[in-house]
Parts: sequence; structure tokens; C-alpha cells
Amino acid sequence: MHVSVDRAKCDNHGQCTFSAPTVFRLNDQGILEYDDDVDDSLRADVEEAADVCPMQAIIVTD
Amino acid sequence: MSTEIEVPYLDISDPSFAMHSEEVREARERHWYAKTNYGFAILRHQYVSTLLKDTRLSQGSGKWPAHNGVHSGLFYDWWTKCLLVLEGEDHHRIRRLLNPAFSFRHIEAYVPRFEQLATELVDAIIDRGEFEFVHDFAEPYATRVLCILTGIPESEYPTIARISSSIGLALGITIKEDLPEIDAALAELYGYAEALIVDRQANPRDDLVTRLVEANRDGDSLSDDELRNALCLLIFGGMDTTRNQLGLGVQTMMQNPDQWELLAAHPELARNAVEEVMRMNPTTTWVTREAVVDFDYEDLHAPAGSTVHFLTQVSGTDPAAYPNPGMDITAERVPHYGFGGGMHHCLGHFVARMDMTIALRTLSQRMTNIRVNGPDEWMPDSGNTGPVHLPLAFDKR
Repeated sequence: MHVSVDRAKCDNHGQCTFSAPTVFRLNDQGILEYDDDVDDSLRADVEEAADVCPMQAIIVTD
Repeated sequence: MSTEIEVPYLDISDPSFAMHSEEVREARERHWYAKTNYGFAILRHQYVSTLLKDTRLSQGSGKWPAHNGVHSGLFYDWWTKCLLVLEGEDHHRIRRLLNPAFSFRHIEAYVPRFEQLATELVDAIIDRGEFEFVHDFAEPYATRVLCILTGIPESEYPTIARISSSIGLALGITIKEDLPEIDAALAELYGYAEALIVDRQANPRDDLVTRLVEANRDGDSLSDDELRNALCLLIFGGMDTTRNQLGLGVQTMMQNPDQWELLAAHPELARNAVEEVMRMNPTTTWVTREAVVDFDYEDLHAPAGSTVHFLTQVSGTDPAAYPNPGMDITAERVPHYGFGGGMHHCLGHFVARMDMTIALRTLSQRMTNIRVNGPDEWMPDSGNTGPVHLPLAFDKR
């Protein structure tokens, strides 16, 4: 599964880090970092992260 | 050799203090923050955007009851355990369990019901040519939206509105003397919330309360107390804010009649109109944080325990972030912070955005030449603002 974040939309609120903490994290400067190639076992968590993102900035593709 | 900066000072609790004032604009031009009688106020958009998410600052409302002499009782117990004031792992766990029920795709399903409600309320006044915006539209709309979301019968909305207003007294400086009324209202709200939880546990259906009851991550779920606390926060947090923001929305649109006509001609711009209204005229005029540790950023030194307010209207009209800060519902803008930000970003923002979009779209389709029609009354600009009383006249479109 491929994950991408639209950086023009992302505002680094970090809600995705609650849903999928092993995929999304905020660095020391508070900027979002994420893994773009994610194992399918984490699909539910990643899709939840995309769902709850306040800016709707997360795109999940197969 | 460093130059001594003269940091502006704002008396933000003065009843005559106005966010939309030359004094505040001048302070923002001089420096990125001001000192206030409540600690510090961040004025510029770039700094609000960055520092609102800084984890050295915690949500600042947790100690509000204690700061005002309230140390026990039903409200005290609820407030100190509710999501709004929780921090760290306690916050993240509950937020994670609550978040999915408030996601865009679940809230979108309520659109037809919200549209039906807005139309019903407008139908009731459209031939009169005048109405009192808070009583005839904003309050029934905001409260019945919450009834629709929770499954409380819409006919009970006056009770829910009264309860919510009574609990709202807890945010005022007279919290201690109002405490008996606040605690009694919260007890009544607990009754509603507990009945909803028991019912959905026995009779699950496709709705928000069932999704909260069934929320489960890695075997963890919300206890009955946590569910009750969350439902009470949803009703309390969702009603007053939406009612007030709708009043500010109509005020902003009346000041920009060309934008109202543009919206009427292009109803697809309603969502953007909500963003513009919240950027320029937010009900939550400041978002409160408290320094967990001694907090240093550039020339700002806030000792641990200091209050830091983020002024949303001031940052939302900062010309450095919004070169043409006047209302333009066709503009693409950087985000405003009317819903706060970071880990405490408003949980119900998709609901608020959706229901206010529908309200502004419906009103603009049916009414034109809206004007103030008698004495209006407004809350002060400090904290949460909006109209108490807003008599309007209009022409039927």
C-alpha cells in the first residue's frame, strides 16, 4: 500500500499519529514525517488516519 | 548588541477591548506577540501556526475552575476528565477512539437532514420579512443538529439549549456563584447521555452514538463514564459555538453584501464562505495554552505556568499571511485557526463546517438585503463571542 501526503494541504496537526503511530510521526520541529510504503497489515490504521485528517491531506493507494 | 524590543501591551479582559481595533492592528504591526493582563497573546499568523502545535504548551483550560475557586462537584469532576483538558497518553487514547465517528465520510451522511432542518426554519419566517436571528434560526438550528447527531428527539431542543447555556456559565468569571445551576444542568445532561449509551448498547444502529459505543482499537474501548463524558462534551462544545459562529457569519455577510449576492449566485462557494467568516470573525477569539515548562521562543520568555493566548481573528487578518485580507469567498487561503490546532484541534469541525455551510447556503438562496432591524446585543470580544440578540429584516428572494 502506498501512502502520500499533500504537503500543500498538510498543516502538521498530527491527528494521523494517533491512528497510525508507526506510519506517521511529528519530528522535533513539529513537521510530519511518514513512511510511504506501508505493509497491508496496517491498512485499517492508515485508512483511519486519512479519514480523520482535518485537512484531508492523506492519500492511500494500492 | 541587541536592540531592546518594546513589546506591546493589551488589556484583553477590558469589556471594551476589541479584536477588530486599530490598537490591536498596531500591536500586530509592531511585534509578533503582546503582553496582556493574562500572560501573552500571539498576534501573527506565522507564529500562531507554529506555536499552536508546540508540545511545550498544553491546553490551558484545565485549571480554569480551580483558578476561580471551584475545586469539587459534578462540573469540576467532568471538566478535569474531559478530552478538552486531557494531555499526553490519556488524551491520545481517547482522541483516537473518538476521532473516526467524527470523520468526514460519517458526517457527510447527515447532509440531507441538516438541509431539511435549515429549510424548515427558513420556511417558518420567510413570509414575515423579519426575524430574531438567534432565537428563530441559530439556536434551534445548532441545537437540533446536535439532536440529529445524537438521536435525542428534536422536540426536546429547548431543554438541550437551556442545559447547554447553563453549563456555559462555567466559562464565565462568575462560575463559582453559578455553580449550583451549572452542576444541576450537567446532572440533567448526564441523564440524557446515559440513556443514549444504554439504548445503543442494547439496540445498535447506524449512527454516531453507536459508533462511539462500538469504537474499539486493539481491544481498547471507551468505558461508560468516558462515553458519557464525551457525549456531554459534544453537546456542550457543539451547541454554543455553532450558534455564535452562525451569528458572526451573518454579521460578516451583512458587511459584505456583494459576497452574499455572489454566494446566492454560486451556492457551491458556501463552504469557502464559512472559512472566510471563521478567518475574519471567529467565535473563539482566542485559543488558550499554558507553558508546561519555561518556554522560550525568539524573544518571548514565558515562565512555566504562564498563559499564552493565540488570537485567531488577529492572526486570520494578518496581512503577511493574507495579502488581501478583505472577504473573498473565491480566494484560496492559507488555513485559519478558528478551530484551534495541533493535537487539540476541534474534534467536531467537520460537523460545524458542514452544518454552517448548509445554513449559509440556504439563507443566501432565500433572503437578500439582510439588515439589522432594531437594537442588537453582543457578548464581549474576550474568549467566545457572538450575538445575544440580533433582530434582522430581509427581502424575500
